[in-house]
Amino acid sequence: MADDPENSVDRPTDDGDAGKPEKMFTLKKWNAVAMWSWDVECDICAICRVQVMDSCLRCQADNKRDVMGRQDCVVVWGECNHSFHHCCMSLWVKQNNRCPLCQQEWSIQRMGK
Amino acid sequence: MSAAKKYKPMDTTELHENTENIAACLKKAENVAPTAAAASSVGRSAFAAQNMNSASTNGERLPNFSKLGGSHGEIRTASTTSNLLNRMGAIHNSKPGDVKKIVIKNFKDKPTLPDNYSKDTYVKLEEAVIAIQLSKPIKYSLEELYQAVVNMCSHKMDAQLYAKLKELTEQHVKRNIKLKELTGGSMDKLILLEKINHWWLSFCQQMIMIRSIFLYMDRTYVLQNSTVHSIWDMGLDLFRIHFAQNSVVQKRTVDGLLTLIEKERQGSTVDRGLLKSLVRMLCDLQIYTSSFEEKFLDATNQLYKAESQRKMQELEVPEYLQHVNKRLAEENERLRHYLDSSTKHPLIYNVEKELLAEHLTSILQKGLDSLLEDNRLSDLTLLYGLLSRVKNGTSELCGNFNGFIKKKGRTIVIDPEKDKSMVQDLLDFKDKMDVIVRTCFEHNEKFTNSLREAFEFFINQRANKPAELIAKYVDMKLRSGNKGTTDEELEKTLDKIMVLFRFIHGKDVFEAFYKKDLAKRLLVGKSASVDSEKSMLSKLKQECGGGFTSKLEGMFKDMELSRDINIAFRGHALSNNRDVHNLDLCVSILTMGYWPTYAPTEVTMPPQFINPQQIFNKFYLEKHSGRKLQWQPTLGNCMLRAQFDAGPKELLVSLFQALVLLLFNDKPVLSYEEILAATLIEDGELRRTLQSLACGRARVITKTPKGREILDGDQFDFNNEFTNKLFRIKINQIQMKETNEEQKATEERVFQDRQYQIDAAIVRIMKMRKTLSHNLLITELFNQLTFPVKPADLKKRIESLIDRDYMERDKDNQNQYNYVA
Repeated sequence: MADDPENSVDRPTDDGDAGKPEKMFTLKKWNAVAMWSWDVECDICAICRVQVMDSCLRCQADNKRDVMGRQDCVVVWGECNHSFHHCCMSLWVKQNNRCPLCQQEWSIQRMGK
Repeated sequence: MSAAKKYKPMDTTELHENTENIAACLKKAENVAPTAAAASSVGRSAFAAQNMNSASTNGERLPNFSKLGGSHGEIRTASTTSNLLNRMGAIHNSKPGDVKKIVIKNFKDKPTLPDNYSKDTYVKLEEAVIAIQLSKPIKYSLEELYQAVVNMCSHKMDAQLYAKLKELTEQHVKRNIKLKELTGGSMDKLILLEKINHWWLSFCQQMIMIRSIFLYMDRTYVLQNSTVHSIWDMGLDLFRIHFAQNSVVQKRTVDGLLTLIEKERQGSTVDRGLLKSLVRMLCDLQIYTSSFEEKFLDATNQLYKAESQRKMQELEVPEYLQHVNKRLAEENERLRHYLDSSTKHPLIYNVEKELLAEHLTSILQKGLDSLLEDNRLSDLTLLYGLLSRVKNGTSELCGNFNGFIKKKGRTIVIDPEKDKSMVQDLLDFKDKMDVIVRTCFEHNEKFTNSLREAFEFFINQRANKPAELIAKYVDMKLRSGNKGTTDEELEKTLDKIMVLFRFIHGKDVFEAFYKKDLAKRLLVGKSASVDSEKSMLSKLKQECGGGFTSKLEGMFKDMELSRDINIAFRGHALSNNRDVHNLDLCVSILTMGYWPTYAPTEVTMPPQFINPQQIFNKFYLEKHSGRKLQWQPTLGNCMLRAQFDAGPKELLVSLFQALVLLLFNDKPVLSYEEILAATLIEDGELRRTLQSLACGRARVITKTPKGREILDGDQFDFNNEFTNKLFRIKINQIQMKETNEEQKATEERVFQDRQYQIDAAIVRIMKMRKTLSHNLLITELFNQLTFPVKPADLKKRIESLIDRDYMERDKDNQNQYNYVA
């Protein structure tokens, strides 16, 4: 009981809480760094054999990224949860509407953005 | 009566002819006088004497004329008689019979006269010629002599006259040669030369005088006979024959000339007029080349050969070059003053050969390095100018210049102890050599290319390190706090650095280190100027293409996108009125693959970090579907507010430091084990973190026992007595060892990336060739790959590709590979 008043006196507080003791260290600002990547099971696009984080071969060759941003080279997932470059898959399904890995009927589950 | 008329016309014709002859003679005599006067001083004196004679006695002319007439008196008598008869005819026409008789007599008597006349004339002319040759007074007037020559030529006696004159000249020349020879044995060389010169000059004057007297013969007889020399040429010819035949006199003359020239070359003052006159004599005699020039060039060679060897030992190269320059100037002076112009090329060529070409290697080996090292611009300019005159001079200079750059550059690059100043030293060295090429070597393209080739050679003598240090140098320049440098100066410096970068073969090493440093500048906000960063990036793009810089550009784009995301997040947080309103959270979202690879780190974070992190995750992943975020604790930094007895402080710390400090809120005293268990920071990292907090300059916690090393049994307390004059205090993370480890890791990653490039090159080659032997494949790879590579590494890649069925060994030949389609 005697200790409590001492703490109050020793540690002046900026907060409105009169009775609450002030902490020794308070976090005020945090400059954080986070690395984003596609949430995929396999890093490699099975169609063009390039990592999904990079543009596909055709976009790299055409240097389309500068003009169209990253839209066409985002990742696309099928219902089977296999993922490819959207560019690569768009061309693939024109010939064969099946997943190149598991041969299931291709249906887009979601697209990265 | 008719007969009388016939006789009269004949008389008239004869008188007319005589009148014309006299007039012509007088005109030619007048022509001769000015020529003789202009010919020489001797001629003037003689002519003056003649004038005096004429002036003193007008009657003298008439007696001369009378004498000439008297020598063939009958002709004159006939003429006089004709005149008298003409007058008598006018008075007494009654005596035509007398005229007839007289005319007949004339015709009969003519043939008998020439013999006496020509003999007497020969004697007279001979006396005159001899008098001229002996520089004695002439008894007869020049006009009279000239007329005599005209008469002789007119009566077909020019050939004999010419032969006689030639004989007299030859005798005269012979006499003089013998005279000099007789007394030459004991005569001083200089005196001998002076006598010969005097004699030659006298001979020329004499020949000019004689030619004036015999001018009519020169104009008629000589021109009509192609085999006959002019009088002047005849004189020179006789002089040359006897002078050249008399080897003693000729040798002494030439030796005397060479002696004088040698004295002049040794610094004495000599009579250049004498030299000029005698050299001219040799030229006129057409024996300059055969008798003098050859010996002169030989003597020159010997002199300069000996001198150059002596001077090369005595003098330093700059002094030697100045000596050579002086000698060349002196020889050109000699050419200008008294040597024949035909000697110019062989003389200068020989001097250059003996003084420069023969010692080219010695000069360059002995002096070039010190001149380049000490930046002796004027001496180098002189060296280049002189060596340009010599065959292979500039080539040798260029080769040695190249060698110097390689040797000097290598010392800058190879020595690890000089790493700190390597790049600046290279830039200074390049500037220095550029100035030398531009200023001293006349911006010669060969030297520019040689400089470039040498730099490219030596800068790649050491693998990786130059590239790394150039990247660090760029980082230093682009980082904030780079004081005293204007944007313009920075731009110029970056341009110069690009020149060095262009020489580097391992550009991927540069990229890796540049990327790592760029990441630090961007994440910590230490970049001095966005414009400078973009400028550097465009230079790299221009140099290596878009592929090289696409990821670097992506890094800048990530920073821009991150700013937009954080603005949106702040709005989102305010509208939702979450707990984060007390925390200023700023997240940099990086695209994996653009940035250097950071090892994933798992640490335990308190709720102050976990809660806002989860909120941000949710916000971001709602906005970007299909993505995941991997947080990088090692890259974060924080600002903490701390309460001390002396007052509050703001601490700028790394995330790890923040994690440690926040633990003391719950418990003021903690052991090392407790901190480790609470944070799960990797052991080495944690020790460095605690060291920076407890043993650094700002000790916000205290360590028991005291010391600089962090041990397992250590205990840490919150330092309530902490004081510092600053309110905001930055506590640096200790990371020396980490830096070294980072460098090695970066190099390792570059090495890994290169394996892909090797594989790609092998596949490219095999796809093109289909079938190729092992040795040829290795050779082709060395040509294609731009970074240094070892045959053992190539072998491994080949085996790997065979395992992966890109290629196979030939079944029949183990040293041959086949491409598999």
